[in-house]
Amino acid sequence: MQLWALIVDGFRQAVDSKIFWVLACGTVVIMLALLSIGFEEGKAVFLFGAFETESGGYNPMFELGRSRLVGVIIYYVMSLFLGWIGVVLMIIATADLIPGMLQSGSVEVLAAKPISRWRLFLYRYLSGLVFVFLQAALFIGLTVLVMGFRWGVWRPGLLASIPLLVLMFSYLYCVSAAVAVKTRSALACVLITIGAWVVFAMVSQAPMLMEAFRMEKSSRLYRVVYAVSWVPPKTGDLPILAARFAHAGTSSDVLPESVLQSGGPQQREDFELAREIEERQLKQPPVYSIGSSLLFEAVVLGFAMLSFARTDF
Amino acid sequence: MDLAVTEMTNWAVDLIDVRKTYGRRIQALGGVSIQVGRGEIFGLLGPNGAGKTTLVKIMMSVVRPDSAYGTVLGRPIGHRGKLARIGYLPESHRFPGYLTGAQVLDFYAALAKVPRQKRAANVEKWLHRVGMTQWASTRIRKYSKGMMQRLGLAQALMNDPEMVVLDEPTDGVDPVGRRSIRELLIELKRAGTTVFLNSHMLSELEMVCDRVAILVGGMVARQGTLKELTDHTLEYQIRCGGDVAALTEKIQGLGGRCEDGAVILAGHDPQKLNALIDVLRAGNVLIDSVEPRRFSLEDILVEAMGAETGAGAAAAPIGIARHAT
Repeated sequence: MQLWALIVDGFRQAVDSKIFWVLACGTVVIMLALLSIGFEEGKAVFLFGAFETESGGYNPMFELGRSRLVGVIIYYVMSLFLGWIGVVLMIIATADLIPGMLQSGSVEVLAAKPISRWRLFLYRYLSGLVFVFLQAALFIGLTVLVMGFRWGVWRPGLLASIPLLVLMFSYLYCVSAAVAVKTRSALACVLITIGAWVVFAMVSQAPMLMEAFRMEKSSRLYRVVYAVSWVPPKTGDLPILAARFAHAGTSSDVLPESVLQSGGPQQREDFELAREIEERQLKQPPVYSIGSSLLFEAVVLGFAMLSFARTDF
Repeated sequence: MDLAVTEMTNWAVDLIDVRKTYGRRIQALGGVSIQVGRGEIFGLLGPNGAGKTTLVKIMMSVVRPDSAYGTVLGRPIGHRGKLARIGYLPESHRFPGYLTGAQVLDFYAALAKVPRQKRAANVEKWLHRVGMTQWASTRIRKYSKGMMQRLGLAQALMNDPEMVVLDEPTDGVDPVGRRSIRELLIELKRAGTTVFLNSHMLSELEMVCDRVAILVGGMVARQGTLKELTDHTLEYQIRCGGDVAALTEKIQGLGGRCEDGAVILAGHDPQKLNALIDVLRAGNVLIDSVEPRRFSLEDILVEAMGAETGAGAAAAPIGIARHAT
């Protein structure tokens, strides 16, 4: 009863913000854009037939074409729009859930109810995740349906992106929640969470960057950086994990052959190295990425809950 | 923190030696002990910074005491389960502006573990009782302060509590609304609900409270029924028609004093009163009236503040004077 009340309240609060409607409008625009694209007899048509061009390697009649279309959706629609712009908007939309609860005059009423502090905090945190889940489910569900009905490409594995996106958001939202307990400021939550996201991405990607620069894996610096890279949550792994479930998603699935083959020998060698790293990431068991990230999240949440439970309001 | 149960008592609130210091220096409560009987209206009063709100928050588990003994509704302080049987309206409360009045009541009642069907019935009942039925579907960001206060009161009553703790319940409410709240408090008392009031409105406390405690500097300066507190401060005022200056020495000899053309005799001593009247009559002074006067709560508060700070009446705020009840 208490969990449901807090989740419904959190949803009401999030829906009350303008950001919710920005996200909703963004979803409608992207879906219309996807709907406007079609494939007919080896040709790709845009804006419901206003323009057309050769479908090239993206013809959904063939497995390679289908795989590339899924790759494009994962990289450009889910990863770029939902994974970046969408997540930033959702960070903003949910930023005030916990600070709002902690405002003077508001927290006293809640803290005087027969619910433990840690539960109150955790339920409120979950209400933010439920909000994101519903947004993601709407967006990704519609994308899967558009791809299936309009293009004939059925990849239900893409639906795994819904919990994956919520998971990735939870890595960031735990930071927002901890900042909320300490500052009670929604603005601080947004700024620090986005800052933390950048740091997480940089630290997680650091070993691969060093590999790209051909640093020796046996060097002390590489080993230290590699060890540190396991500490923060792996927010950048979303498209990789989504690709695993959809059986597509490496750069070779996204980029046309002409791009892969262009450039000099050095560029081709660099591309091959990058693809090798991608392939290796795809082969990594998700349990490493998710497990280490969840451990980080649990530590941050534990700290936030302890702090909340010990605060006098 | 040292939380301990003393013994199960019949008090609704039985607090012993409650201490709280914020940081290392700011002592909010320096060993407060108060008792509130079941089914009575209890008033907590004191100047700003006396520790009233801290004490209330400790009772409601919002603030953790450094040390505390005793019980609230028979359970140790800090026990969360008991909060389902208590209603609480904090001072300057804030509810989410995106909710309607009915949604506010339903939400907080759900957190108080009130079953869904009972919640629906109680929303209607309490909104009607505080005169807010027509605003039930309006988002509360459009409410006035007085409306928010009435909604807050309804929120505190949604779980049909055994005890209701109200911090400044009439703050921002117009005189008609205040009267309505007073009537509601008396109704609650008749229904057996314990009411714990924290208010600056001394005249209102005086009208409804059975017992009061005065908190000064984090300590209980006075505690008891209104009768107990006001009885020992009784004085007589003898209004005279003539000049009493010639009798000043004799009046003072009997413990009286002259003030604004009247003779004042402090304390409750009928023998001295009669002796004083005899002196006045023997001096051919015409007596208009003899009035017993009890001090108001305000007088007692000012007196308590003076005793606590050692500043006496000088501690009284400007404009506060003794007046008859």
